[in-house]
Amino acid sequence: MLLISDVHLGKISHFRKYGSAVPQNAIAENFERLTLVVDYFKPKKICFLGDLFHSSLNLEWDLFENWMQDISAEVLLVVGNHDIISELKYEALGIGIYLELILENFLLTHHPEIRENYFNFCGHLHPGFKLNGAGRQQVKLSCFYKSKEQMVLPAFGEFTGNYWISPNVGDQVFVITKNEVILVH
Amino acid sequence: MNQTQLIKLAESWFEGQGWKPFAFQKQTWKAYLQGKHGLLNAPTGSGKTYALWIPVVLEYIKNNPDYKTKHKKGLKAIWITPLRALSVEIEQAATRFSEEMGTQLTVGKRTGDTSQKDRAAQKKIMPDLLITTPESLQLLLSSKDYDKTFENLQAIIVDEWHELLGTKRGVQVELGLSRLKTISKNLKIWGISATIGNLQEAWEVLLGPGSEAFKNSELIRAKLDKKITVRSIIPEKMEKFPWRGHLGMHLIDEVVPIIRNSKTTLIFTNTRSQCELWFQKLMHKYPEFAGEVAMHHGSINKETRLWVEQAIRDERLKAVVCTSSLDLGVDFAPVETIIQIGGPKGVARFIQRAGRSGHQPGKESVIYFLPTHAIELIEASALQKAVKKTVVEDRIPYLLSFDVLVQYLTSLAVSNGFFPKDIYPEIKSTFCFQVITEEQWKWILNFITKGSQSLQAYDEYKKVEIEEDGKFKVNDRGIAMRHRLQIGTIVSDAMLSVKFISGGYLGTIEEWFISKLSPGDAFTFAGKNLELSKINGMQVLVRASKKKNSKVPSWMGGRMGFSAQMSQLLREEMYEARESAKIGGGKSRELTALQPIFERQQRESIIPNKDEFLIETFKTREGYHAIFYPFEGRFVHEALSSLLAYRISLLSPISFTLAFNDYGFELLSDQEIDMQQVLDNDLFSPAYLMDDLNNSLNATEMARRKFRDIAVISGMVFTGFPNKIIKTKHLQANSQLLFSVFRDYEPENLLFLQAFRETFEHQLEEGRLRLALERISTQEIIWKACEKPTPFSFPIITDRLREKLSSEKLEDRIRRMLIQWEK
Repeated sequence: MLLISDVHLGKISHFRKYGSAVPQNAIAENFERLTLVVDYFKPKKICFLGDLFHSSLNLEWDLFENWMQDISAEVLLVVGNHDIISELKYEALGIGIYLELILENFLLTHHPEIRENYFNFCGHLHPGFKLNGAGRQQVKLSCFYKSKEQMVLPAFGEFTGNYWISPNVGDQVFVITKNEVILVH
Repeated sequence: MNQTQLIKLAESWFEGQGWKPFAFQKQTWKAYLQGKHGLLNAPTGSGKTYALWIPVVLEYIKNNPDYKTKHKKGLKAIWITPLRALSVEIEQAATRFSEEMGTQLTVGKRTGDTSQKDRAAQKKIMPDLLITTPESLQLLLSSKDYDKTFENLQAIIVDEWHELLGTKRGVQVELGLSRLKTISKNLKIWGISATIGNLQEAWEVLLGPGSEAFKNSELIRAKLDKKITVRSIIPEKMEKFPWRGHLGMHLIDEVVPIIRNSKTTLIFTNTRSQCELWFQKLMHKYPEFAGEVAMHHGSINKETRLWVEQAIRDERLKAVVCTSSLDLGVDFAPVETIIQIGGPKGVARFIQRAGRSGHQPGKESVIYFLPTHAIELIEASALQKAVKKTVVEDRIPYLLSFDVLVQYLTSLAVSNGFFPKDIYPEIKSTFCFQVITEEQWKWILNFITKGSQSLQAYDEYKKVEIEEDGKFKVNDRGIAMRHRLQIGTIVSDAMLSVKFISGGYLGTIEEWFISKLSPGDAFTFAGKNLELSKINGMQVLVRASKKKNSKVPSWMGGRMGFSAQMSQLLREEMYEARESAKIGGGKSRELTALQPIFERQQRESIIPNKDEFLIETFKTREGYHAIFYPFEGRFVHEALSSLLAYRISLLSPISFTLAFNDYGFELLSDQEIDMQQVLDNDLFSPAYLMDDLNNSLNATEMARRKFRDIAVISGMVFTGFPNKIIKTKHLQANSQLLFSVFRDYEPENLLFLQAFRETFEHQLEEGRLRLALERISTQEIIWKACEKPTPFSFPIITDRLREKLSSEKLEDRIRRMLIQWEK
């Protein structure tokens, strides 16, 4: 199963609809990235951990339908706070909708949740980490944020923003660059 | 009535008041009545208000002989002022003269604070004379049928033009004027400006370079020779003079007699936190002043500020501790004395402040200068000369501010709509856009209609539409509303409002300061001791605190650095100080007082002369310090420190903590720099300046910050409804995010590029930076390996510590440092 969190499809179009000129080319990037990842892993199942879409329906839904046509895997969506599009639209595409998913000892949700005896995979936070360097240099990167009972996934989509985390002792932070995932904390 | 008769009317009225018109006032009246445009160079309190209101009214009288019985309605003149709280004096002057002349002219005000009721009333009938801000003028242009509103406009007066000139609000005014020139046939454009270095340019920018208006205009200078005397407050014994840390507050006992001997005193500080600290100290040490001394700065709530301003006019206050918030336009006749705490950063500002005191014409203006550390006495000495020579700063106008243009065009589209072929020549006639290319213009048009440069499938971008006849118009009411709400160019930092749990709003504080506090922590604000209760969204709830130890907030925004003129004066004064140190005494009182410090500096290091560039290195418990002294102002030093740190790191891996102030900058590290290697490798070379600045990450971060303003001004980011947190959660995005997306997907976007251009031109003052590097390359570099910190280095070190430590800890630390270094 492939876990992807916080794609926020439609966000760019949503902004453009309201008069904010976010660059359009970034829209295609999300779909290209999804295709790349699916082609690489060839998963049997794809589970979106919430905020697949950003807001109400716009033309990016059509792009998503197109993308779904080439997908043979089973697709599931654990709904997040931004997922306001009607369930019926997803069902028409064969996508299963869930509030949460339990697979053996794993709890898959959108919002981070600590539940005894389960390890939680979630999203929502859009975790990022600031690395401080020489002088006044600073590098900000998205990351995976892992603690003893939980792993928060970075936001997959373009134009998603970050919440900068301050990890506790015992937590692990894996930052992502263009080509690598690096453990830094 | 002919011109002579009209002027006679005004002269008699003046006589009736017991006044006599100044030469510049009569000159202005004549020029105006001849139908000319112009720029009047006159300071506050000089009678500039009557210089221009009077001819406006006289013109009305001339055109309406039956003015006493009939009143012709409609907007006749606009007075633009940059002030947030409008000047009561301007309104009073207009009302007084027009009433006493027997006209029925109405005077009105319109700003962001104007109530809905008043706005609706104004929509029905505009006052004859309107006092407003640059933003409100843009709002009027975004209202339907603005061409009818301005049809009979006879005059537009832009007050404090020097203040608007070097800002985007100045660009807004330029654009507004370009439209009014076309729709108001009899328009006369007049500006009022204080003395600046580039007054001629200011005149041209106001009227449009090479325009008909400029050709038919005059530059009138009010030659009011005011004698200004600068008196430094110097402690009796210099060896007891703490070099830094107390912000001069140990001299508070010298200030109090000055306050007592004067009717009203304004005490200017350079930052809001200094304002808070001084007020606190004054109240603490001299509780008998309670009720007679107030404070005033930009983050205090409006009601309190207005109260203080009125109390000054009514002579109810002995002294007010303030920041530049009291600089503009407010004409306080009763102010007798001005005290400047710390270097004023600029000559013009200093002269302007000095001129506020002693208002009777011919009377001497005295300004007291209180240095917050010894080196500032050199500034005081330099300022004495500056005041005599009137060497003042330029205000550099903006070029190609595309963000303001986007906002302006959208405003026109919201109201009546516009045809590009009509507007293009208008905007091209302004100074700001005189070099705009057709390509850039097309880019802007595409931007506001398509939100990109090419039509793509699946795009729902909506802003300005192109109608069948080619008119550019905004038809969506939601877009129109959001646009109007955001008109303006002053973008503030993330500010949280501070209020008592029991009610009572105090003012605003920057988010980053509050983020460092926990509930229960004490801090001082608006002169009160407060305790943080909790933070509710954008509100900070507090209660009164009795705790002794409290932090004073500092505001990152609005930090000033030395102007180029000030830097030069300082350098020259310092070179002279070097000479005087040799002969054991200086020409001025200040330099004489500094003798022991100069001698020490000469002993441990050097005082550079004009052909020398000083670098000092020494080791302390903190690590290895390397201090560089360009004396070029904090912003240039910020860039230079970053640049140097980067270039050194190319030679060998080494990490630094950077610090800088107006005199120099410091590179602090746990490793020793191989200074010889630095010198051998010519690291001060101006070559590759742009590339290196780009590479030291700083430049991108600065551009990112500039982009925030650009994104808001050009409407890419919606800041939310007034007084409420942004309601439309799904439209919340910070500009940082937008910056990254533009960087990755549309780096050729003109607004994105503008952020970098502004960073280099305005913030880093690239021109000045280059000149500084060129100057340094002609100097001999003197590297002094010292054993301990020198007097010149002291302010930079304590400035760095001040960022981290609370004021008590800082005092303590400095005391300990002094004990060690006095040995």
